[in-house]
This record gives sequence, structure tokens and C-alpha cells, in this order.
Amino acid sequence: MDRGQNHIHGQSAANLCYQFGSDNPLLGMGIQQPFVPFTSPFGASSSTNIPHMDWNPATMLDNLTFIEDKIRQVKDVIRTMVDNGGQLPCRQGDLTQQQQVVNADLTCLIVQLISTAGSLLPSLKNSSFLSHPPAGHMDTVNHVGSSSSFIPNVTTISEENKEDMCSPEDYEELFKGFTDGAMEGGIEIDNVFVEEQDAKDGDEGGDASMDGENLPPGSYELLQLEKDEILAPHTHFCSICGKGFKRDANLRMHMRGHGDEYKSPAALAKPPRDASAEHELVKRYSCPFVGCKRNKLHKNFQPLKTILCVKNHYKRSHCEKSYTCSRCHTKKFSVMADLKTHEKHCGRDKWLCSCGTSFSRKDKLFAHVALFQGHTPALPADEPKNSSDQISRVGSHQEPAKFPSSMSSSFMWGTSSSDDRGLDIKGLAGCSEDILSTGNFGSFNFSFGPADGFTGEPSGSTFSVLPPEHFQSAQKKGKN
Amino acid sequence: MSQDGKPSSAGAVAGVDALSQDLLAHALAGVHDPRDRKSCRLASRAFARAEAASRRSARPLRCEALPRVLRAFPSLTSLDLSACAGLDDASLAAALSSAGGTELGVRRVSLARASGVGWRGLEAMVAACPRLEAVDLSHCVAAGDREMAALAAAAGLRELVMDKCLGVTDVGLAKVAVGCPGLDRLSVKWCREISDIGIELLAKKCPNLRSVDISYLKVSNESLRSLSTLEKLEEIALVGCMFIDDGGLRMLCAGNSLQSIDVSRCHHVTSQGLASLIDSQRFIQKINAGDSLHEIESCFLSKLSTIGETLTVLRLDGLEIFASNLQAIGDSCKNLAEIGLSKCNGVTDDGIASLVVHCGYLRTIDVTCCHLLTNDALAVIAENCRMVECLRLESCPFINEKGLERIATHCSHLKEIDLTDCRINDEALQHLASCSELEILKLGLCSSISDKGLVYIGSNCAKLVELDLYRCSAITDEGLAAVAQGCKKIRMLNLCYCTQITDAGLKHLSTLEELTNLEMRCLVRITGIGITSIAIGCTSLIELDLKRCYSVDDAGLWALSRYSQNLRQLTISYCQVTGLGLCHLLGSLRSLQDLKMVHLSWVSIEGFEMSLRAACGRLKKLKLLGGLRSVLSPELLQTLQACGCRVRWVDKPLVYKG
Repeated sequence: MDRGQNHIHGQSAANLCYQFGSDNPLLGMGIQQPFVPFTSPFGASSSTNIPHMDWNPATMLDNLTFIEDKIRQVKDVIRTMVDNGGQLPCRQGDLTQQQQVVNADLTCLIVQLISTAGSLLPSLKNSSFLSHPPAGHMDTVNHVGSSSSFIPNVTTISEENKEDMCSPEDYEELFKGFTDGAMEGGIEIDNVFVEEQDAKDGDEGGDASMDGENLPPGSYELLQLEKDEILAPHTHFCSICGKGFKRDANLRMHMRGHGDEYKSPAALAKPPRDASAEHELVKRYSCPFVGCKRNKLHKNFQPLKTILCVKNHYKRSHCEKSYTCSRCHTKKFSVMADLKTHEKHCGRDKWLCSCGTSFSRKDKLFAHVALFQGHTPALPADEPKNSSDQISRVGSHQEPAKFPSSMSSSFMWGTSSSDDRGLDIKGLAGCSEDILSTGNFGSFNFSFGPADGFTGEPSGSTFSVLPPEHFQSAQKKGKN
Repeated sequence: MSQDGKPSSAGAVAGVDALSQDLLAHALAGVHDPRDRKSCRLASRAFARAEAASRRSARPLRCEALPRVLRAFPSLTSLDLSACAGLDDASLAAALSSAGGTELGVRRVSLARASGVGWRGLEAMVAACPRLEAVDLSHCVAAGDREMAALAAAAGLRELVMDKCLGVTDVGLAKVAVGCPGLDRLSVKWCREISDIGIELLAKKCPNLRSVDISYLKVSNESLRSLSTLEKLEEIALVGCMFIDDGGLRMLCAGNSLQSIDVSRCHHVTSQGLASLIDSQRFIQKINAGDSLHEIESCFLSKLSTIGETLTVLRLDGLEIFASNLQAIGDSCKNLAEIGLSKCNGVTDDGIASLVVHCGYLRTIDVTCCHLLTNDALAVIAENCRMVECLRLESCPFINEKGLERIATHCSHLKEIDLTDCRINDEALQHLASCSELEILKLGLCSSISDKGLVYIGSNCAKLVELDLYRCSAITDEGLAAVAQGCKKIRMLNLCYCTQITDAGLKHLSTLEELTNLEMRCLVRITGIGITSIAIGCTSLIELDLKRCYSVDDAGLWALSRYSQNLRQLTISYCQVTGLGLCHLLGSLRSLQDLKMVHLSWVSIEGFEMSLRAACGRLKKLKLLGGLRSVLSPELLQTLQACGCRVRWVDKPLVYKG
């Protein structure tokens, strides 16, 4: 309760939005299951071939309790607003802030609702996937997601997308891609509580030694993103038009175009990080790739520290190396930054060993040659042979990591236009595209907390998912 | 052909035929002179067969002969291809493969200056000679990493000389180091691309190295640190390593295997560094510190006594050395066999006296340009060093016949004496003539020497191999007649600017069958007739210098092209030859590799073009007038370059000197 108050007084709308944006617990499902909630829960039975999809009544109950709490919380806030509004009508800024807080809270509720129903996801295929959404939901959207000025926007988008995406084959294909992805990723549809539970129970990584730090397994909050989320090009999305951004700052700049209320210094300011940092559990991340040392199921599990780590780790270790150096045409990278770093140093003087290893510096190559019996520096003309070896090796190494990445990414996020389309499919799938598209926009905001400072951001949103007592106990444990 | 064991009659030949082949081979092993061996071969088929079966080394002069040589001498172990004209990858590979399916037993191959051979040839050679142990690639300036990679396939390689292989970098060295871990002796002199990194890897990969030459490399003390890990290192040459200083020498202090160190021209090495090295390495036999130590300090001299027993060679060229220093050296190093004091200021008669009085075993004394020395020094050398074999007295102006008389009477073993620019006369030569062992005599710039002196020399110095009469302008044909009569073994003869010599003198010289190098610059009186007699008589001629012999014409070139098939190096600048003669010369001389022809004003551009085309594949070095560069066809120049020929363009005015 008191946390809600803090939010109201201490933070701007953008900040709040951001906070929800960094709501990691939601990531696991918020993105994937947005189209689920309005399908029949009984549809789940049709997807029993996926083991993790079992409907857990206890969890569901927990979640519903939480939602209930949350609603009460929001009601309290609104009540305070009503009271204060009578007394201090002059403080218009505060009022808008509070409104936005409420809006955010409501969005959170919706998302939570969606995610609670998320376990029913696979049933979708058999449900009314392509059924048209009831038009009446439009109002709800407006009420919940954003101010009324955005309605036309939302509608047009969904209209467009409906036209674009009406081919059943497309849906089929996309859906397949999606479920495949989920399968490969180990189907981490189970929600945060389960993950938290896992960590607490010490089922895995009991004696994991972290890089540099040595956090006991339960002392941090363990999160696991899906690979589609990891690979999404944009992490910040405009709640109004849905445009994606890589940086929160860029989003804030973009928001200025949507109205004067986004032009206030408070709205444009960088969200403070320290607001509730001290109360936060340390967050650590697990790689969705089963068998990886960074995956929580691994015996010697070593968690990743930040979202950025997760992204880079996943791309480097489990993705195809699609960026080829334009100078040497040999080195390949999966992370653009790595390519750029390499290209800085990739020149004519490439020091190559007969084993195919290459070095940027001669002394490094010679140290390598000195170390290994039979290795010699390669002459320039030997290069093609060696490099092809290298390529094949790399290729084989990367083989297991191959997956329909383009498919899933276009489905989930894509870029700009295709992005919207992807969203809309979900909306269609959920029979109420309008609500969901808004909800999605919101959730996008949340889901991919900005790469910059994501970790440092004290996400009050933990609360939005975790029941307060749960959080407190976890924190206590961490202190101990 | 007066050697013992040489069969001369038909009856003897029949007897020789009856002997078994290994007996004959054993007998042949005692015949060292190649000309005598040739006589044996020609005298009897049995000898020829025995020789063919037992012959260990060969030095083919033309690549056409190579396949035959390899087939004829199956037990060949040493192959010298350094003088093999026209040798390239294809011919080398073809010759080696045509040697039959059997593996060649060749262990040593010299490819020095064989600039036509590249990595393909080397690959073929390494494949054909599995027992290869030693390769000399020195002065193959075009050789680079690829050639080294080809050589690295010879895993048994123990000796490798790659002086002045300019293209070799650390990568090439690393190839060799990894491929030939048993390397014993390596010289990378002048391979300027090699750095500390390469040397470090070499030291790690080739622990058996005994001798390393890293002269003129841009390496630092780090290289010496790496090399100091070699436990068997005996010999190290650091000539002209500008970045090596005393710190590097201190790193070499570990161990006590070092026997020879050459730090000449290392400008940052001082007496202290050398002293600390001597202090720990107690078995050093040779030290060359010429042009490096700035001054001889007492710390170095006092340490010399620690290696006094072993030190035999000490070269201190270019330093300032006083009598006291020489006395200290003499006191410490009783076993010195060679002392080098060339261009040392401050060397006096007293100094030499205090040195040689203790060093009775001195065999080589180099006092070149020690201007203060007089006959007294020679007297004391003669008194104390009876064993002396080599005396270099160039530019010692106070030396005259009296001093040389003492030397000649006491030092009967004298083999080499350099009297260039000394004011000696015929009387001195009369004394020197008593040294019957004399092999090398240099009398350049001794203008007072006349035919009389040469008559003395000719009368007694039958073993003379090298005679330098540069600018002895009083010499005439009679003198040459005397020398040619008495010194049949002469191989190198310098007659530059002895302007009185005519064709008659050359006629006398033509009896010197072993003559290989003949320099006759500015002999304005000689003509094609003289050249013809030389060409016919001196069949071994390899190098001939006819620069500014203005009267030499096409007739001389015709004779050379007809008879001097071994001629490798020729200078005909300023000669009166025409394009026709040049064409014929270049078309016929199959061994010719180096040709200097500046200011051939009678030769047309077509003449140059045609003659160069005729010799394209064989020429390695060419000196031409710069003006021709733009006139000659570009394809020709490209072809020359492709065949490994380097052209030096000179621009100087045509000036006639008499």
C-alpha cells in the first residue's frame, strides 16, 4: 500500500511507465500470451502434449489473490485522489501524475490478468483464433490504456493489420513459429512465482558460484526471458502509436509529439534510479537455452547479471553469426558491437596460425605458436583454406543454436510496421484486439526494460506481480 | 700433371683397369686437386668409374649439366649450385626428379646467389633429398617467407644460411624454427625484417642451436635474453646490431658454453658489457669487438686474464689502443693466434713489442693503417712470432725493405702479406721471395715496384695464388712473363692501371690455366688479340674486368664467347665493342650472370635490346647507363626482372681517362 503512495508522490508518469516497463516478472508471459486471456480456460486440455503448460490451480489462485489486492490498492489511490482533489484543486500536476499512476496500475492489472491466463496459451490454436473481436472493447481500451485522444490511432492500426494479416496460412505459420520457439526455449511459461520458488527450493544451482560474486541461490530474484524477447530489436515501445525504440531516452523524446503533457521537464527527465533500490532484491537472469551453463537447470548454473548480458550471451552463444566482417570476410559475429570492435582492428595484417586461429597482433600469434607443438604461422596464401576450416567449424559449433529466429522475431516484434502486424495477430488471436493491442503496447513498454540501466532501475513493479508478503519474506531472506 | 699417382703410360692404364673399384676410389681420395682428378678420369675408364661411384661433391656450372651430374654420381652428398647459371625452379625440379626413382643422398646444398630459385624449386629439392642437412640460401635477395616455408619441410635440417634473404620475416623464421627443430647452425644476417619475436620463437623451438648469426638485424636485448636460454650456444654474431647494449650482453652471461662472440659495429656495447660477459663465460675463444667499444677500459683488460688460456682470436679494429693496453693484452692472453688492430690509433712499435713478446703463437697480425709502425715493429714480430702466417701491413708508410728482410728470414711460414700502399721496392720483394710458402701477395699502389721485383717473386713463390699489382705502373710485359713462368697456381690477378702492359704480356698470362679472376682496368694498350690469347689459355676464367680498355673490340668478345664458357662476371664498360659482338657474347656465354656495360657508345639500342634478349634467363646482375631505361622495351625489362635479374642504372658522364 505504502509503495503505491510512494509512486504517486515521487515519480512522473514516464517514470512509472518505465517502472512497469522493467517489470521483469511479466516478461516471461506478458509478451507471449497477450492474446490468451479471453479464450476459454478449458482449451488448455487440448495442449497437454506440452508438459509445462499444465494448468496449476494453486498458482492461479495466488495470482488472482494478488490481482484482488492490487485492485484494492488502486481503489485506495483513487479514493485519496478524490479526497485531495477537493482540498487542493490548484495542484494540477499532481493530479495528472496520480492519474497516470492509476492508469499504469490498471494496465498492470490487465497484464497480470492476461499472464495469469497465460498458461492456457496453447489452447489458442484450437480456439477462435481468427474470430473478430467484439467492438465494444474499444471503450475499455481507451479507459484503461491511454487518454481518449489516442483512440483513432489504435483503431486504425488494428484495422490496417486486420486487412494485412487475414490470410489463415500466415497465422498458421506464425503460430507454428511461435510455439516452436516456445518449445525450444524450454517453454518458460511458468510465471515468476514458480521461478522464485525454484530458486528458493534450491532445486538447481544449489552451489552455483557466480562470476565474481557469490550470491547464494535464493538471495536474488531469478528471471528468465524468452528468446524472442531477447532477440527483439526494440525494447521500448510507445504506448500510443506502438513505435519501438532501443533507448528509453529516445522514447521520451518521441513522446513529446503525442501531446504537451509529455513535454514537461518531469516527463522528459531521466527516471531516477535510487527510488526504491535499497528495498529491491538483486536480480539475476537465466538463459532460456537448456543445457547452457547460464540456464538455471544447469548443474553449475551461473546467472547473468543484466539484461544486456542476457542479450549478448544469447546472441553470442546460441544464435547464428550473421554479421560478417566486410574486410576479411571471414570473421562472423552475432552481436553487432562485436563486429564493430573487430572491424576496428581488422586490417591487412592478420596474423594467422596454421590451425586457423587468427590474431590481431604478431606477438600473440607467436606466443600461440610457441605454446602448441606443430603450429606455425600461416602464410597469406594459406588463408583461404584455413578460413574455410574455421567457417565450417564455427558453423558446426553453432548448429544447435539454429532456430527460426526471423520467424519468431517478426511474429513477436519485427521492426516498425511488421511489428504492429505481429501485435495485431495477437490481438486477433485474443478475440479482442483492441484491448490487447493497447495492453500489448503497454506491456512492451514494460517487458523490455531499457537496455540502459535496466538493472539499476528499481522496479517497483515487482510488487505488481509479487504479493507484498512474498516480497518481504524474500527480502528478509536476502538480508539474512 | 706431374702429380704422383698419375698414370702416364698405356701399360699403367691396363694395370689400373685390373684393380678393384674401391681400391681406385681409395687412391683417388688422396688426389685433392680437381684438375688432377680430371686427368685421372681422362686417363682411365676405371678411374672414371671409381670416381663416379665415390664422388661426394659436385659444383655444376650450368643447369643443363645438373641432371647428368645427379645421374653420374649416385653417392653425391654435397651439391653446390651457387655458380649454376640459368638455374630456375623448373630446371631444378626437373633435374631432381629425373635422377631416377631412387632418393638422392644429398645432404648439403648451396644455393647462394641462385636468385632464380623460388619456393617451388625448394619444395622439389626438399622432397627429392630426404636427408638434407645443410642449405645455403645466402644472397637470394628475393627469397621470402614462402621459400622458408618450403625449406621447413626438411625436418632434418641442421644448418641454414639465409644471409640477405631480404624477404624473410618473423613468419618465415618461425616456419623454419617449427619445421626444423634440430637446427644447429643458423645465419639470418641482413634479414632485416626479423625481429625479437621471431628470435624468441626460434630459441624456444630449436634448443640445439650452437651457432647463431643475427648480424645487422633490428633486434634488441630481448633477443639476447631469448638466445641465452640456448644451452648449447657456442657462437654468436651480433655485427651491427644497433639496439643491443651492455644489458643484452649481461643476459648472455648465463651458462658457459659460449666460445665465440662478435659484437663488432655494435655502437652501444662498451668495455663493461664485454667485461661482465667474459667474467661469467670462461671458455670464450674468439672476441671481435671492432668498431664497437668506444674505448678500451681497464675493467675489460683486467677480465681478459680470466679467459687468457682459451682466447685465441681478438679483434679490436678501429679503437684507440695505447702501448699499455697492448701490454695488458699480451700479459693476459698468452695463446693468442690472431690479433686485429686495423685502423687503431695509437699503436706504436713499443705497443706491438710489448704484445708480441708474450704471444709467441700469433699467426695472424692485422695492423692495417697503423701509421706509426716502423721496421722496429716488424723486427720484434719476426723475433717473437716465428709461426706468423698472415701479416697485413697496408698503409704503414714507414715500413721498408729492411723490416721485411727480418720477416722473410725468420718467418718462413708466411702465407699472406698485404703491403698495399707501403713504400717498398724491388729489394723488399727480393727478400720476400725467400718465403716459398707465400700464397697471397698484395702490392697495390707500390709504384716503385718494377719487373725486377716480379722476377724475384716468380723465381721462388710457386705457390702464389693471389697477386695484386693494382697501379704498379712500372710493371711491363717482362714482369708478367716472369710471374706467369714461376707462379702457375695464380688464380687471382689484379693488373688494373698497369698501363704499360700490352697484348704480349697477356700472351704470357695465357699460360695460367688456373686463373679465375683477372682485373685489367684501364689497360689502354691491350686489344682483342690479347683478350683472345687470354680466352684461349685461361679456360678457368670466371671473372674478367675490362673496364676502360678502350682498344678492346669485337674480336675480344668473339674470343670470349668462343672459349670462356665458365665466365660468370664480366665488365666491358667503355670498351669499343659493337652490338654485334655483344649479341654474340651474350648469346654464347651460358655461365654469364653479372655484366657491367656502361658507356658502350658503339652499341645501338637495338644491339642492347637484342643481346639482352639473348641472355635474358641467365643474367642476375646488370649495370647499364640510366639513359637506356626509357629506351629499352618495357617487356624486356619485365622479363629481366621476372628472371631474378637486378639492373643497376648509373648516370655518369662519359669521360676518357688515360
